[in-house]
Amino acid sequence: MFEVRSSKLKKASQHEPNCEPRTSNASEFSSVGRVGELVLDYVRRDDRTVLTHSRCCSPWHFSPPIQLDDSPCTYTPLVNPSGGLVGGDRLHVRAALGSETHVLFSTPSANRVYRSLGETALQTVELNVGSGAILEWMPDVTIPFFESRFKQAIHVTLAPGATVLLWDTIASGRVARGERWAFTSLENEIRIMTASGRSVLERYVLAPAAHGIGQMAAWNYVGSLYLIGDGVEAGRWKQIEARLAEILDARPGAVLGGVSEPSAPGLAVKLVAKSAPDLSDTLDELWQAVRVTLWNLPRPALRRY
Amino acid sequence: MDALTLIQGLRFVDSFFPSGGFAYSSGLEAAVQGGAVRTAEDFSKYVEDLLRHGMGRREAVAVAKAWDAQARGLWREVIAADWELDSMKTGQESRLASRQMGRQVIRIAAEQMGGHPILREFHAAVEAERTPSHLAVSLGLVLAASGWSREDAVAAYLYQTATGMMSAALKLLPIGQREGQRLLDGWMPLIAELSGQAQPESSMTSWSPVQDIYAMRHSRLTSRLFRS
Repeated sequence: MFEVRSSKLKKASQHEPNCEPRTSNASEFSSVGRVGELVLDYVRRDDRTVLTHSRCCSPWHFSPPIQLDDSPCTYTPLVNPSGGLVGGDRLHVRAALGSETHVLFSTPSANRVYRSLGETALQTVELNVGSGAILEWMPDVTIPFFESRFKQAIHVTLAPGATVLLWDTIASGRVARGERWAFTSLENEIRIMTASGRSVLERYVLAPAAHGIGQMAAWNYVGSLYLIGDGVEAGRWKQIEARLAEILDARPGAVLGGVSEPSAPGLAVKLVAKSAPDLSDTLDELWQAVRVTLWNLPRPALRRY
Repeated sequence: MDALTLIQGLRFVDSFFPSGGFAYSSGLEAAVQGGAVRTAEDFSKYVEDLLRHGMGRREAVAVAKAWDAQARGLWREVIAADWELDSMKTGQESRLASRQMGRQVIRIAAEQMGGHPILREFHAAVEAERTPSHLAVSLGLVLAASGWSREDAVAAYLYQTATGMMSAALKLLPIGQREGQRLLDGWMPLIAELSGQAQPESSMTSWSPVQDIYAMRHSRLTSRLFRS
């Protein structure tokens, strides 16, 4: 394990604060929301992944990619200095990873979704991964506050030989202050499409006050980890599955998890946890196992706040 | 519904139909071994939550989509719903169980109800491995071809799911036949409610992470009565 050490961005990226003003139908709440877009394009140059184009507008803050080590992997922090989303926010992320690139996205802190009495906060993520490229999408947990409204869609398209490791987690609320499953609504859709047409899809719509939360009433965190790609030898999935299953069994009573092969080539992990440390420790071990096994790389120690 | 329409559809959801459903527990065996389901009340809540947040929003909608496609001759919609359901069922055992049962339904229906082009085409696509043939989709097609209403078709699917779970529970838990019937009776209003809500234009959604996890964990149990 090692720390982020320096920026080796070879070419200064264009930073174009060129976002359209919000033009939604005006409601008494709509003036609060912002339209933010973050667009990033990467290519492979020699043994590095290089950002060639970027566009960013508030609330996103452009943060240059960071070279983690001597591998082609480059780390791009997704920074929203406002600390979270309010009702009416429309945040978009679009990234294109060229052939043979390796990009890691993460966030420096949890994604908070604040209370809204009117509009929903929306976040869409569109990620295109070129042939032989590797995408790691590992944001911190989303915390939906009391009476918040949140809708998220993450769509990943993989070219032949591309691989994605994607992690998505939500908390039941601000657990430390006893706020659990008290948000108004939360919709989430994750779709990963492979070149063959096989896909993985997770889609849920939650409204705890109206419909309850089912068996999750006993848990505080839920997460999904998808490792999908057709560039990995089929026999290796079973080897990785066995290792991930061991990790998921390491905290009985505090973490409950399962791993299996989905319709698309790869692995799907689902887990629930009682506490944030249980969740993050388990994730770290899963991430480490995948990175070492597939790419012979250790898990990076990213700075969290 | 006249008597002939009733029994033509009924045989596909009857436990006498050779779909192989008795071999699957949908992860219940893992939940029992894991201690999450110990009593009749635990079991009742487990199934109720699965129906309300999981199968009642995902498979039930797939049944409605297939029913609607058969009724309106929309071939592509059937295939799209089948693949979308396949992509959402991330647990391998549950996915393969659903495919296997759906294949049995469409195979027999295509042989005996050949006057319906979509049944024949769907069966051909299944045999050519161009579509996964999930039970919800096959049953939606077949019950539509049998003359059942969409709502009845969805209710039949959910009822079959509930009785399948009950059948497994009778072997896994200290639940007797009368107790089982009491629990089934308690699920009936929910099944009726969900059947009325499942619309073909709706998106399939599912929120049953705990049940999904146990379905994933089943393959690693050291001793197993069921195949899922």
